[in-house]
Amino acid sequence: MSTTKDEKRETVDPARRNFLRAGLVGASAAAVGTGAGVAQAQASESDSEKKKARYKETDHVKKYYATNRY
Amino acid sequence: MARMKFLCDADRCIECNACVTACKNEHEVPWGINRRRVVTINDGKPGERSVSMACMHCTDAPCASVCPVNCFYTTADAVVLHSKDLCIGCGYCFYACPFGAPQYPKTANFGSRGKMDKCTYCAGGPEVDGSQAELDKYGRNRLAEGKLPLCAEMCSTKALLAGDGDIIAQIYSQRVAKRGYGSGAWGWKVAYKETISL
Repeated sequence: MSTTKDEKRETVDPARRNFLRAGLVGASAAAVGTGAGVAQAQASESDSEKKKARYKETDHVKKYYATNRY
Repeated sequence: MARMKFLCDADRCIECNACVTACKNEHEVPWGINRRRVVTINDGKPGERSVSMACMHCTDAPCASVCPVNCFYTTADAVVLHSKDLCIGCGYCFYACPFGAPQYPKTANFGSRGKMDKCTYCAGGPEVDGSQAELDKYGRNRLAEGKLPLCAEMCSTKALLAGDGDIIAQIYSQRVAKRGYGSGAWGWKVAYKETISL
């Protein structure tokens, strides 16, 4: 039995796991990409940018004011 | 420059608590924290009044005055915001605020009660507008989307007003001029058969 196993081991093509390596490289590259994206998204705004006015009198806001005048 | 304000018309508030629920849902507010609360005075008695309360976004805010790490800032819209990255959870702002706006996610002593949480006027925080980080820490940034705070927008009786202080003051004065105020309102004596002085 043991002889048969050894024979099998010898006949196994070592390149058969290359697709796993390729997968690993791809996954780590993707993880690095995502990490960079998150870091970018989490970056805080500059002092002037975070204090800027965000209120805009859009149609949505005008409609709100109009309904409150009833 | 428009200055953002909240104004609660106490004659219209029916204490439905929908503003509280909407706020919690919109911003995924943690358990134990209510950024907005409805306070009722003289509950069950003649003259009962309910007022929806949250951070009043004070000019010269006392929370900002006492903060040892200077995590508060006021935007050009007069909205008082804070940075959860800088907050150390000391609790000074909680003691300084006359409205009980700053709250903490954990019940513990100094430094271990977590980052302070309060009403952001639906204007997010120092993170990039609309980013996931901003959503996770502060909730939605409706102001940047061209909207107003959800609590006011969905108020069924239009009791809670939000927006440009000049405009909502004008809306409120129009209401008062039309209906009278409190016991002076048309139909009050017929409905309640008594005179209530406020």
